[in-house]
Amino acid sequence: MTPSFGAQLRAVMRRDLDRERRSGEVLWITIPFGAIALILVQLSVGADVPVLRDLGPGLYWAVVLLFGVLISVRRTTVETQAQRDLVALLGIDPAAAFAGRALASSLLLLGFQLIVGAVAVLFYDIRFSASGWLAMALVLPLAAYGLAVLGTLAGSIATRAAMGPALIPLIVAPLAVPLLLAATESVEGLRNATGILPWVLLMITVDLVLSITGVLTARPLMETQ
Amino acid sequence: MNPAATQSARRDWLGIVAAVAILGAFILALLSPPDRVQGDLTRMLYIHVPTILTAYLAFIVTTVATIAYLVSRRLSWDRLAASSAEVGVVFLGLAILTGMVWGKPVWGVWWTWDARLTTTALMFFIYLGYLGLRRGISDPVARARRSAILGIVAVAQIPIVHFSVTWWNALHQPPTILRPGDPQIDTPLLIALLVGIGAFMLVYAWLVARRVELERHEAARLDAAIDDAAPVAGDAITSPSLDAATGPSTRGAGT
Repeated sequence: MTPSFGAQLRAVMRRDLDRERRSGEVLWITIPFGAIALILVQLSVGADVPVLRDLGPGLYWAVVLLFGVLISVRRTTVETQAQRDLVALLGIDPAAAFAGRALASSLLLLGFQLIVGAVAVLFYDIRFSASGWLAMALVLPLAAYGLAVLGTLAGSIATRAAMGPALIPLIVAPLAVPLLLAATESVEGLRNATGILPWVLLMITVDLVLSITGVLTARPLMETQ
Repeated sequence: MNPAATQSARRDWLGIVAAVAILGAFILALLSPPDRVQGDLTRMLYIHVPTILTAYLAFIVTTVATIAYLVSRRLSWDRLAASSAEVGVVFLGLAILTGMVWGKPVWGVWWTWDARLTTTALMFFIYLGYLGLRRGISDPVARARRSAILGIVAVAQIPIVHFSVTWWNALHQPPTILRPGDPQIDTPLLIALLVGIGAFMLVYAWLVARRVELERHEAARLDAAIDDAAPVAGDAITSPSLDAATGPSTRGAGT
């Protein structure tokens, strides 16, 4: 009996999270690297607290975008052809494989955002009201999910391409701008109490469009691998 | 005359017409009156605006050809998509460069973090990624399918670039010609601009025609190389014949 779509999705997601648990690549390498990047930028900007407070949120999102690409494409770039063939021969629905991988990356990215976010709050003295922190609980997962889906999609497109690992950030970074823009404007909206609804809607729209594109193109992309 | 020679003659004529049109556009740009505020600097816009509009056209052609490929699965559409994107990136690069040259004396800086400029730069990098992806995949079918997805996603950038000056408070001026209502420009300047746009689009058509032809030759050469491949180990082995009356049996060979 063929497992349901949901069961396949959960299996792929569990596989990716197990791999991360064993390797600790995100926890022990990418997250410290992101935190160091934030600290280094602070060194280059100077010690002016008001300036750092203004720059902090933007720098945080830039770090999330650049390092998020590393997280969302990490498995695609190291996966061997034999592993891809095995997944295909097992009869796993390509859309379930895509969604499972994207969701696993979303969770890892969310962990990255939370830990590096704590570093940003401490080092850049970022302040929100209580409702602002609550709103961030909505903004962070939406941005993490969008980046993860985009990275997974770009990874699928560039699989087996010469220069693939170098090429993926070039594809992802410009296309992630609507997410980056919505995330930074949301934070600005929270700090200035000007409302964040349009930016949240933009993130939801981008997430939906990317999810539909990823699911619809999963099979043709797998066929050309 | 054979079809290839006819096509070649058409391309040559297109090249001649494009060259004449560019010459005409150049003369009109020199003869048109200077702008009351910008003076002669405005002449740079007779190159800048046509190049960006030609880049838009090129990327729209890429998307249409991509969709046509996905529907028909004919690689000739994919070749058109790739060629148009390549020429489009050249025109977009020219638009950015001419904008910077114009921006330095008018705005005082080569580059400013304006919505139009930023989104245009992003579009440039998105299509560079598209071309990079194509270079990285050698199998023509896999290349066509995978780049098709990126080609379709990337075209969403055109309305963002064009309307960015309306959506955000931008330093870059709002649309002058492609806007609701009449164009906000005097007639002599508008004529020079429209001739420039037509001339640059003819140059685009000629370059794409040349590039498609080059891609076609490249594909034919690759096919020929596969057909005339050097002999490989195992070529000399033939399948064993089980009919002893019609030929020698290989059963027991080597014993």
